[in-house]
Amino acid sequence: MLSTENKDRHLLLGVDIGGTFTDIVVVDRKSGKVHTYKQLTTSDNPSVGVIDGIKNLFARDALAFGDVGRVVHATTLFTNALIQRNGARTGLITTEGFRDVLEIGHERKYELYDLYLEMPKPLVPRQLRSEVRERTSVSGLVTELDGNELVAKARELVDCGVEALAVSFLHSYVDPTNEKRAEDLLKQEFPALAVSCSYQVSPQIREFERTSTTVANAYVMPLADSYLEGLEKALKELGIESRLFLMLSSGGLTNVEEAKRKPIELLESGPAAGALSASYFARRNDTLDILAFDMGGTTAKLAIVDDGEPLIEHSFEAAREKRFIEGSGLPLTISTIDLIEIGAGGGSIAHVDQLGLLTVGPKSAGSMPGPACYELGGTEPTVTDANLKLGYLNPDYFAGGTMAISVEAAEAALQRLADKVGLSASEVAWGIHNSVNENMASAARVHIAELGKDARRYTMLPTGGGGPLHCCEVSRKLGISRVICPPSAGVASAVGLLVAPARVDRARTYVATLVGLDWTDFESAYRALETDAAAVIEETLGKGSLPKITRFADMRYVGQGFDLVVALPDGPYTAESMTDLRNSFAAMYREIFGRSMDAADIQVMNIRIAAQMAIKEAALQSEPHGKELAQALKHRRKAYFESARAYLDTPVYARSLLPAGASLDGPAIVEEPESTLIVPPGASFAVAQNGAITIDLLVQNAHEEVAA
Amino acid sequence: MTRINASTLEIIWKRLIAAVDEASAATIRTAFSTSVRESLDFACALTNAKGELLAQGTQSIPAFVGSLPRSVQLLIAKPEFSALRPGDVIITNDPWLGTGHLPDMTIVSPIHYRGSVIGYAASTAHEVDVGGRAGSLEMTDLFEEGLQVPCLKLIDGGVVNETIIAFLRQNVRAPDELIGDLWSQVSALDIIRRRTLNMMEEYELDDLDEISTEIFDRSESAFRSQLRKVAPGTYRASLKPDALPAEIELKMAITLTDKECVIDLTGSSAQVKGYSINCAFPFTYAYSAFGVKALFAPDIPNNQGVLRCIRLVAPEGSVVNHTFPLAGFHRHMIGHHMPAAVMAALSQVIPERTIAKSGCGPMWTLQQNGIRKGRPYANLFFFNGGVGACSKHDGPNVLSWPTNISGVPVEYMEHLSPLMIKSKGLRPDSGGAGKYRGGLGQKLVFEAVGEEPITVTLVAVHVAAGADGIAGGKAGEPGRISINDEPIRSGKAYPMKRGDILEVLTPGGGGYGDLRERPEELKIADREAGYTLA
Repeated sequence: MLSTENKDRHLLLGVDIGGTFTDIVVVDRKSGKVHTYKQLTTSDNPSVGVIDGIKNLFARDALAFGDVGRVVHATTLFTNALIQRNGARTGLITTEGFRDVLEIGHERKYELYDLYLEMPKPLVPRQLRSEVRERTSVSGLVTELDGNELVAKARELVDCGVEALAVSFLHSYVDPTNEKRAEDLLKQEFPALAVSCSYQVSPQIREFERTSTTVANAYVMPLADSYLEGLEKALKELGIESRLFLMLSSGGLTNVEEAKRKPIELLESGPAAGALSASYFARRNDTLDILAFDMGGTTAKLAIVDDGEPLIEHSFEAAREKRFIEGSGLPLTISTIDLIEIGAGGGSIAHVDQLGLLTVGPKSAGSMPGPACYELGGTEPTVTDANLKLGYLNPDYFAGGTMAISVEAAEAALQRLADKVGLSASEVAWGIHNSVNENMASAARVHIAELGKDARRYTMLPTGGGGPLHCCEVSRKLGISRVICPPSAGVASAVGLLVAPARVDRARTYVATLVGLDWTDFESAYRALETDAAAVIEETLGKGSLPKITRFADMRYVGQGFDLVVALPDGPYTAESMTDLRNSFAAMYREIFGRSMDAADIQVMNIRIAAQMAIKEAALQSEPHGKELAQALKHRRKAYFESARAYLDTPVYARSLLPAGASLDGPAIVEEPESTLIVPPGASFAVAQNGAITIDLLVQNAHEEVAA
Repeated sequence: MTRINASTLEIIWKRLIAAVDEASAATIRTAFSTSVRESLDFACALTNAKGELLAQGTQSIPAFVGSLPRSVQLLIAKPEFSALRPGDVIITNDPWLGTGHLPDMTIVSPIHYRGSVIGYAASTAHEVDVGGRAGSLEMTDLFEEGLQVPCLKLIDGGVVNETIIAFLRQNVRAPDELIGDLWSQVSALDIIRRRTLNMMEEYELDDLDEISTEIFDRSESAFRSQLRKVAPGTYRASLKPDALPAEIELKMAITLTDKECVIDLTGSSAQVKGYSINCAFPFTYAYSAFGVKALFAPDIPNNQGVLRCIRLVAPEGSVVNHTFPLAGFHRHMIGHHMPAAVMAALSQVIPERTIAKSGCGPMWTLQQNGIRKGRPYANLFFFNGGVGACSKHDGPNVLSWPTNISGVPVEYMEHLSPLMIKSKGLRPDSGGAGKYRGGLGQKLVFEAVGEEPITVTLVAVHVAAGADGIAGGKAGEPGRISINDEPIRSGKAYPMKRGDILEVLTPGGGGYGDLRERPEELKIADREAGYTLA
């Protein structure tokens, strides 16, 4: 492990800008103490909220700016720019005859029964898409770029007010000569212009995805430039001298320069931090296979962690037209932590649908007007209102007692809905709670099936304000029998920022069959990716850094129409590697299809590498402070549990006062300022030395193995 | 037993749909067929003990609306399947019991609970290959279409019938893929069975009867309440699909009452001999019902309550309900017109809800054959055109409709075939004019660059006349196909040698409403983007 920071600077600072709140977390490496703060996000200029939040936390807890040794940052800024379409005015230059590739896309609908479907508009309108004569074929350069034509076309676009320019030529992953030349000329002629070329951002076959990724990158480059520069400056002005690192969608860290070159890789940085945090807390409790479940005000996110590592996906869709529908967004070939997002959160609104059924979401009351119980103008019943009615939430201790909520307002809203379906307010409240859980469990089941995995094998790790409230019921529905609830679960996801390794992912198309492969060329193609990645790691962690490199390839049997992304043995590869590569592919193939076709030749489509290097982890100390159980018992209140079909008299504990080693049976409620944990009857839970609460659930899966 | 109310029913039904979606996800993950993996050309379903549809995969393409429950009902009515045992799986690709052509393999398995059958899990998937002439338009009959699999028990009480497997393997071009796909389907059925039983146990249900009744009745009444908003009556449309090897007329009369929607195709042309374009009853139903459902109940998940409100009358022996042994491999060349016919008929009463015709419904295909290193090979590419406009906005440019099949990336086409694509772009002025413009078609230019000569066969529609507009909108530009500027015919194989240029211009969608009502800012935006040139 490499030390990138001054030893005296013992504070690690993590900042995660979310839709509603900016989470600030500080870990003191000397004491292990964790400081957290939630500041309202300032959407217009997010760095204002960041700086205010840092100031507020440091003032509150008497921390010194000069003691900060590392700053790690995650932000939704770029995602929002794509959703709100407020990125830079961007132009696109393509091979002659192909400027409409960006608009034509996959030619597929994302919803079959919607006759009035609208497809996502391209980030670059047609009048800002230009073409130049040049051509590369599947086997190499055919027509050289005419530099004069390129500059003339670019000048026309610049004259139209373009601040960023994407260049995407056909087959540039085979030979990037023309794109490189274009890049040089553009930088020379238009030094102020942000330029993004497809051979750099996404050297992969499929012109639409490659162009879409390159364009999206160009679109957020000017924003990344000014934002990151401004933030660095503001941190310095505060007196924070340490370096700034950025969280990538893949769950690794990178440096500011790389982030400015490829801001598109930062899109999902917040959720990635959440998944990383979940795997960190699970590891601390000797658990490696988890389902990370983060539930907030408007959405819930689920990620799978296998063997301590969150699963990585190599394609992603940003800015979905219909938020949760696949195919309605902009496809990007970036490496991201594999996660699903569901329109389910505390603010999700319940309603009666056209069939007279009680359904929840995806519409959300958000934070304004918010749930009915906020009394800020919201009159429709939400998940939070239901949780209040069920006795899960404490009206006197909402958000740690900082916010007043009204039970009466929640009940009135629930009653109005109850009257429509002929049920009682309590029945409706349970219906809402149960329905939102079912929505999340259904989405999880389908996603887990897509990955060919078995939910029952996993431990659930809840985070976010809603995670601990819903985790046991969602687990039960999925057949999961164990839950680990980390300390400060409500803000735990920002901790992921402080435990992330430095990481670089690189990929390019390399079409070849294993039989007859030019092994020298194949090896040098991997080497080129690795050299490039190692340079970025050095840029991030300093000269001499030696990252761990994992090689992958997208492979298929010749003639098949789909690839598997296969983890390969380490290089260097020679003709002798043939058997190893075949075996790696065959093993994965067998895992999915139950058998392999040993006689068939194998085709490689893309090659990939991931370079990772750990940075000194923050050693969190979160031992429970409690002495004895009786002191932790705050009060008892009525809470509804479906297994009893009744409101039960339920003990309520203050989490901070629970002693380590305590072991209890449900039903129970455990409160901390940012979240409330509900433990149902029949479950038992224990408080670990490190502050985590482990819950064992009674789960029945009668028909999982046995045929009826 | 759990009381079924508005809340529990929602949860239970959602659970059943998720069970089928989970089975669908497993199918996509483990199937070999590219049409399954990429075009989702498959469906999974759960029915009750009567074979009535409770849940179908959310992403099921229109080809399978109503087909699986119908297959289950017809199969369980057969005496040999009257007493199915746990672990039985029935298989068939009979076009009239299944989906209208042989590549679709349908399997059905009973779900037993406490000794009785409480429902069925079913799956249909478009397999890689089932032998025969592999998709030729010219087929005298079904025997040329491929291997017919009669209704048999593929698995009998948990024991696989190896004789069937051996026969299948011997008669197809890619036996590993076909058998692999079948096992993928079988495991999907098992997921549906297990999840259904878990749900029943959790909610203490003895059968699916009460659930079915509730779901069907609520869906039916929601559908009927939509029907009641429309003036009852009979609305007619007639179309003459072009680019077919035979003169065909489709006549549709839709009768709306407050209870149901009856689609009557009486008067449509007779079945066709010598070409595989006949559309079997289940496929005709699927695409007709799709159009009606998309108009009246797009958001209600597919289930028997909706299906029983949509009835099809199609005379036996017609091109929309052909008889054995005529071929129907290319059933889509008739079937894909059905939604447009539904729109045309109902535009007389609810024009504001219908959409104009789309350029590439039926879909366009390019088959390219050649010889590489002494071995014959074939590539099949798909092209889409502009979608018809609606009363709310312009039709989308270049989009698959009514089915949902992707175009092939240019870079893939160049890897797979000795063709260099010179351009692929939007076709300005191809969308039908109107208050809202039809979506634009696209233009592709191919140059043959290989040493060896090749042949190309384009199947193209809306070439003689463009896709009609609606409510006063104009037709889109017709499609055009040519080699070296000489027009070529749809469905006919043409040779190409190095340097020859093939041009493919797909049709635009029809327009909606009167052009004079088109907002000025849209006209300006069209000119700025170059969607229109004038």
